[in-house]
Amino acid sequence: MPKVILTVDDSSSIRQLVRFTLTGAGYEVIQAVDGQDALSKLTVPVNLIVTDLNMPNLDGIELIRQIRTRPVYKGIPILMLTTESQDSKKQAGKAAGATGWIVKPFSPDQLLAVIRKVLG
Amino acid sequence: MMDQHRQAFQEEARELLTELESALLELDSRPDDVDLIQRTFRALHTIKGSGSMFGYDEMSRFTHQVETAFDHVREGRLAVTADLVNITLAAGDQIRSMIEGHSADNTETKEILDKLARLVRPASAMAERAEQKAPSAEVIRKWRIGFKPSPALLLHGTNPILLFRELRDLGNLDIKVNADALPNIRQMDPESCYLEWNLTLETSQSADNIRGVFIFCEDDCELRIEADAEAQSVRNVEAPTVKKDDLIREPWTLGSWERRRDPYSVGGEKVSIRVSTEKVDSLINYVGELVVVQARLSQIASSSLASELRVVAEEVERLTAGLRDHAMSMRMFPLKNTFERFRRLVHDLTRDLGKEVEFSSEGGETELDKTVIDQLNDPFLHLIRNSMDHGIEAPEQRLAAGKPRAGQIKLSASYSGANVVISLRDDGRGLDRDAIRTRAIEKGMISSETQLSESEIFNLILMPGFSTSEQVTDISGRGVGMDVVRRNVEGLRGLLEITSTPGEGTTVTLRLPLTLAIIDGLLVRVGAAHFVVPLANVLECVELKAEDVRAAHGKCLANVRGDLVPYVRLRDYFRLPGARPDIEQIMIVETADGRCGLAVDEVLGDHQTVIKNLGRVYRHVQVISGATILGDGAVALILDPQRLVQQSIRAATKLLHHTSHELVN
Repeated sequence: MPKVILTVDDSSSIRQLVRFTLTGAGYEVIQAVDGQDALSKLTVPVNLIVTDLNMPNLDGIELIRQIRTRPVYKGIPILMLTTESQDSKKQAGKAAGATGWIVKPFSPDQLLAVIRKVLG
Repeated sequence: MMDQHRQAFQEEARELLTELESALLELDSRPDDVDLIQRTFRALHTIKGSGSMFGYDEMSRFTHQVETAFDHVREGRLAVTADLVNITLAAGDQIRSMIEGHSADNTETKEILDKLARLVRPASAMAERAEQKAPSAEVIRKWRIGFKPSPALLLHGTNPILLFRELRDLGNLDIKVNADALPNIRQMDPESCYLEWNLTLETSQSADNIRGVFIFCEDDCELRIEADAEAQSVRNVEAPTVKKDDLIREPWTLGSWERRRDPYSVGGEKVSIRVSTEKVDSLINYVGELVVVQARLSQIASSSLASELRVVAEEVERLTAGLRDHAMSMRMFPLKNTFERFRRLVHDLTRDLGKEVEFSSEGGETELDKTVIDQLNDPFLHLIRNSMDHGIEAPEQRLAAGKPRAGQIKLSASYSGANVVISLRDDGRGLDRDAIRTRAIEKGMISSETQLSESEIFNLILMPGFSTSEQVTDISGRGVGMDVVRRNVEGLRGLLEITSTPGEGTTVTLRLPLTLAIIDGLLVRVGAAHFVVPLANVLECVELKAEDVRAAHGKCLANVRGDLVPYVRLRDYFRLPGARPDIEQIMIVETADGRCGLAVDEVLGDHQTVIKNLGRVYRHVQVISGATILGDGAVALILDPQRLVQQSIRAATKLLHHTSHELVN
C-alpha cells in the first residue's frame, strides 16, 4: 500500500512540482488548493500533510490547528512550506502543531529527503 | 539526453584540464606550494569522478592512477619534481584526447603509467610503513546524547524511532531508554510521551550534524549532546575511492540548512552558466539586425513631425545600445587561458632547445572577442617560437654578454580605447638590422640603394618568404611565419609593430579591435555612394575648399594646421561619377604609414553598424572589409582605411618608378 500524502498549496505550479516529485517517488498524492479545500478532502486517512502557509480562505496555520483537533490526525506528521524570511510564521506553525518545515525554494531531492525524515 | 550531459562534461573537463595544466606549470617553479598541489589533485579528482559517471571508464581508470600519485604528494610522501610535472602534463594530454573521443594511445598511456609507478613506488612503500606506525586516520568520536521529549512530541507528528534510525546512519548507535517517568496505567495519557533516552553514538560527524537530526523537534525536547572525552577511537581510512556521495552533492544539508560551499569550486569565482557559442552568435546576429532596424527607426523619427515617435525612437536607441553592449560582452573572454597555453609552450620549448627561459604574463584578465582570441593562437605561437629560437641566446652566450642565464619572455595585455594591445617582449639578442637588410637585398625584395627607416627594415621580416636564421630548425626559420602572423593580425583589423634594441631584446606589439561584429563608424557620402569608415581609425575631419585644392597645384596634399597631410580622394579612387562639390571633407586617419586623409563629398555622421561579410566573390577586395545596411535600406561599403592608404601609396610609388624610368630612358 503506497503512503498517501495530502499537499495543500494555492500555487498550481508548486502543486504540480510537488505532485510530480511525490508520485515519482511512489507516494499517492491528494491535492488541495487551500485550507478549506484540504479540510473537506480529509475524509480518508493520510500518512502525511504538506501545506503552504499563505493561502486564501483558510491559511496553513489555522489548517494545522484544526487538523490537530481531529483525533484521527493527531499524530500524523505535518510539514509546512515556508520562506526563510518567515521565521515568525514558522514559530506559529510549530505552535499550531506542525512537525517540520521545508524552506522554499527547494529542490525535489530536498523535498523527498525531508519527507523521508518524518515519514520513515 | 545523455549526449547533452556528456557534452556538458566535456566542456567541464576541458576547463579542468586547463586548470590542471596551469597548476602544474606553476608547481614547476613553486614545488612546495600546498595550494597548487591541492588544485592539481582536485582537478584530477573531479575529472576522474565525473568521467566515470559519463561513461569514460578508461579515462577514469587512467586518471585514477595519476591522481594516486598526487595523493602521495598531498600526504607529503612524494616530492614534486620536474619529472613528475612533465609526466603529469603528458598524462593531461592523454586525458584530453580520451575525452575528445579519440582512442587512447596505449603505448603512450602505458609509458606514462610506468614512469609514474617508478616515481610512486618508493612513496607507496613509505606509505605502508607509515600506516603501520601511525595510521593516517579520521577521528571517530564518541558522543553522549540525552534526549528528553516534551509530552506533546508525538502529537506533533514526530516519531522518535525515525530519529534514531537517522542517527544510526551516522555511525554506531547504542540506545538506552529511561522509563522512570512512566506513570501508572490509570493516570497515563496514551497520547503523551513519558520516555527519555540516553544514546551513545560513535561517529566522525560533528555535533552540529548530530543536532541536525533533531532539527524539527528542538523546541519539543531537552537535548544534550556531549563529546565523550576519554574515549576517542581511531579507524584507518580506506583507500581513496570515489563515493557516490562525492558525485551527487546536495547544495543543502538537512542538518544545517545553510548553503554548503561546493568543495570543488575555486574560491571567489563568479557564478556562470554555460551557453553554446551558436546561441550567443545567433543572439548577436539578432541584435545586429535590431541595431540596423533601430537606426532606420531613428532616421524616420528624426524626419517625422510626431514628437511622440521621436521620444520612442530615442528610448529604443538607448535600449538597443545597452542590449548591444551586453550581447557583445557575452563574447568577451579573458586572455588568461590563452596566456596559460603559451606558458606550456615555453616550458616545452625550453626543454627542446636547451635554453633557459622564464615566462611571465600580465593583464590576463583583459577581455577580447572569442573569435579574435581563437585567431590569435597561431600568430602568437609563431611569435613565441621565434623569440625562443632566434631571440633568446643559449645560456653560455647570455652569461658572456653579461645577462642573466635565463632569458625572459613576457606577454602583456591592456586596453587602449576600443583596442586591446598585446605585446610580447623578450630580452634576447634583438633584431640584426644589417642582416635583415642584406637578406632582403639577396632575396631581391629591396635594391641595395634603397634607404629604409628602422621600422621599415623591421617590417621586411613580415614579408612573405623572409627568414634570416642561418639554420632552419624544427621550431622556426622556415620562412613562413612572420608573414602569416602579419596576415592573421591584419585579418583581425589589427596592427603589428616591431621594436628592437640590439643586445637588449625585441618587442612585438599587436593592436586589436575589441570586437569584430559591430563597429562604430563614420558614415560618409561621395556622389550617390555611401561608405562607412571605422570611427576608431578617424582622428579628425577637416574641410577642403576649392581654393586650397588650386593652391596645392594638383597635388593631393592638405594643410592641416601647418602640417602637410597627403589625402586620397575616394571619388577618384573608386572612379565615381559626378562633379566634386566646392567644399569637400577630409577624414584624417591614422595608419601604419602615418597620417593620411580620405576626401569625401560629405560626412553624414556617426553610424553604428553590424558588419556583414561580402561573401567569397569579393574576398580579394582588400580595401573593403564588409558592408552594412543603412536606415533607408541602401547598402554602404565599409572601408579599411589601412589597406586603402597602403594600396594608394603602392600605386603612387609604381607611377613614380614608371615616370623616373621614362626620364632615364
